[in-house]
Amino acid sequence: MSLEVFWFSEQPYGHVTDQDLESYESGRMHFPNTHFDPEKAHVLYNNYHEQYTLADEVGFDGIMSNEHHSAYWCMKPSVNVDAAVISKVTKRCKIAMLGNVIAVNDPVKMAEEIAMLDCISGGRIISGFVRGTAVETLHAGISPTENRDRFEEAHDLIVKCWTEPGPFRWEGKYFPHRMVNPWVVPIQKPHPAVWFPGTGSPESVIWAAKHQYPYMNLGSLLDLTKQLKQIYFETAQEVGFEPGPEHFGYLMRCLVADTDEKAQELGRTFLWTEGHRNRGPVEFNDPPGYQSREAVAIKMARPLIGTGTMGKRMSYEELQDAHNIIVGSPETVIKKLRYIKETLDPGYLLIYGNEGDMPHQDIMRSVELLGTKVIPALKDD
Amino acid sequence: MTTTTSGNRQTVSVHGTEVELFSGGSGPPLLFLHGAGGNSGWQHYHEELSKDYTVYVPSQPGFNGTERPDWVYSINDVCHFNSALVNTLGLDKYILMGSSMGGWIAAEMAAMNCNNLEALILIDAAGIKPESGEIAEIFMVSNETRMRQRFHDPSQVANYENYTRDLNDQEKIIDHSNKEMASRLCWKPYLHNLSLPYYLNNVSVPTLIVWGEQDAIIPVECADLFRKAIPNSQLEIIANCGHSPAIEKPNEFVSTVTGFLASIK
Repeated sequence: MSLEVFWFSEQPYGHVTDQDLESYESGRMHFPNTHFDPEKAHVLYNNYHEQYTLADEVGFDGIMSNEHHSAYWCMKPSVNVDAAVISKVTKRCKIAMLGNVIAVNDPVKMAEEIAMLDCISGGRIISGFVRGTAVETLHAGISPTENRDRFEEAHDLIVKCWTEPGPFRWEGKYFPHRMVNPWVVPIQKPHPAVWFPGTGSPESVIWAAKHQYPYMNLGSLLDLTKQLKQIYFETAQEVGFEPGPEHFGYLMRCLVADTDEKAQELGRTFLWTEGHRNRGPVEFNDPPGYQSREAVAIKMARPLIGTGTMGKRMSYEELQDAHNIIVGSPETVIKKLRYIKETLDPGYLLIYGNEGDMPHQDIMRSVELLGTKVIPALKDD
Repeated sequence: MTTTTSGNRQTVSVHGTEVELFSGGSGPPLLFLHGAGGNSGWQHYHEELSKDYTVYVPSQPGFNGTERPDWVYSINDVCHFNSALVNTLGLDKYILMGSSMGGWIAAEMAAMNCNNLEALILIDAAGIKPESGEIAEIFMVSNETRMRQRFHDPSQVANYENYTRDLNDQEKIIDHSNKEMASRLCWKPYLHNLSLPYYLNNVSVPTLIVWGEQDAIIPVECADLFRKAIPNSQLEIIANCGHSPAIEKPNEFVSTVTGFLASIK
C-alpha cells in the first residue's frame, strides 16, 4: 500500500494556563468546568472545522478524531458528533474515529450511530474502538475493573449488529438485549474497517493482532514503538496472518511553517499540557483492575514498555531529537517524516497537528504546507 | 477444627477455592470480616477477643492476593461465599462481626439468615446510604488522602508509621489486589444497597453497632440508620475516633464489644 496521511486535532480548549491548573490535584477530574466558556468554545470549534475542510481540500487521505471526557485539552466528549461534522465539511477524505469508548456506552446505539455515519459519509468511516484512558471509565461512573470485559462484549455485539440480520437476542453480561434490530446498517461490507489504538500497553497490541485489526500507536517513543510492532508481528504469526504496513499506523506531533524559525517558535506550544495532561493520583490513570493481572505481568517482563512518554519529562529539544515532535519548514519536516517512515514502515501517518492556543491562521498554513508540499513528497518516495 | 491460643494462619478449601484464614482462641465462635482495605491479619483486638472466643479472620475472596472465583462480582456473591465458609468451618450459633465493607457483608448475611447467629456486631459499617451526608470517595483518591480519611488522630494509632511506609513488592501486589477487589464489589451502587435497610427488619439477634464519632469515610448518621433498621440493636459511639475504632481506640473498642457480649449471655 502507499502511505496514507491523516490530520488530527484534539480540539483543545486553549485558553487554559498553567496558573489555572496548578492548584488542583489533577488536570482532569479535579479541574473545574467553571474555566470553560461556551462562547469561546463556539469560536474554537468552528476554527477546527475550517481546518478539517482545508485538510480535505489539500490532499490529506483522512481525518482522525477521538473523544475524551473531563479534559481541557480535548473538547470532544463524542467522537460520533465530530465525525458527523467531518462528514459534512469534507468531501472525499476518510474519517478515522479513534475511537468510540464502547465499554461505557450502549453498543447497539454505537452500532447504529457508526452505521449512520457510514451512510451519511458514503462509506468513508474507519471505526476505531478504544478502551479509553481510565478517566473515561471513571467519569462514566463505571468500575475500572469492568472496562475490559465490557469492551470485549461491546465489540462483539457491535460487529454482530453490522453483520447479522436482526432481530436477534443478545444475552450478554453487561449489555443484555432481548430484541436487537438496528434499522441502519453500514454502507461498507461486511462493515467499516476497525482500528485499535494504544500508547504503550502490549495488551492492546496483542488484542489488535488477534483480531487482525490495524494497530495505531499514539505517540510512543520510537524504540518502544518498534518493540510494540514486533509484538504485533509475533502475535500475527501465532494467529496465522502476514502483517504489512496496512496493519500499522503511527501518530506524532507535527507542525509546518514557511521557515524553521517560525515553526520552532509555534511548536513550543506542543508542550502546553506537559505536567498537567495526566497529572493526578495513579488511581485516575491506572486504577487497580483497569489492566488485567496478565497485562501487569507482561509489563514487568518487558521493562522498557511503559505508557508512551508519560512519566518521562523530556524537553522540547529532546522530543524533537526523538522524532516525537516534528516541526520545521516543509523540507525539514519531509526529512524527519522520512526517517519515521524508514524506521517504522507504517501504512498510516497520523499528524497531531495543533495544540493549546496555537493561532488558527498558523495551523491553516501548516495544513496547507503539509498537503501541498510534505504529503506529495512522502508519497513520491 | 483445631484452634490455637494465638493467631494461626492456614488455608481452608471452600468448594475448591482456597481461603486464607487466621484463627485463634477458644470458646464460642466469632467470625470477623475485614474491610475494603483487606485483611490485616491477626490484630491486637483479635487477640483480646480470643481470650473468650474462638476468633476466625478470613481473607474475603480475591483480597490479599488470594484466589477470586469467577462468579464473585458483588457483595451478595460474597455473602453466599461466606455462607459456604461458615458451613465448611462448622460454625453454629456464632458471633458475626464486620468492619466497614465487612460490616456491610455481615449485615447482609444476618438479614439473609440469622438462625445460626448468636449476635451481630457492625463497626463503622458500609451498606446504608446516608440521608444528608455522603460516603467519602475511597477509590479515586491517593493513598495519602485515604489515610487522612481513615484516622481521626494519627497520634492515637500505635505504629502509625507502619500504615504510611513504602510497601515492598509483595505488599504492593497485595495492596493492588485489595483495591481491585474492593472496586469490583463496591463501585456501584457506591458502598451501599438501597434495599438493605428493609432487609434488616429480618435481623432478630442482639446487635451492637459501634462507630467512631469522627468517621470521615462513612458518616456517623449511618450508625443511627442501622440502629433504626435493626430491631434488637444498640449503638455505641466512640468519641475522638475515626473510621477504625479497633485500631484507633483499641481499649474502648474491646471493652465495648466484650461488655455487649457479656450482656447477652
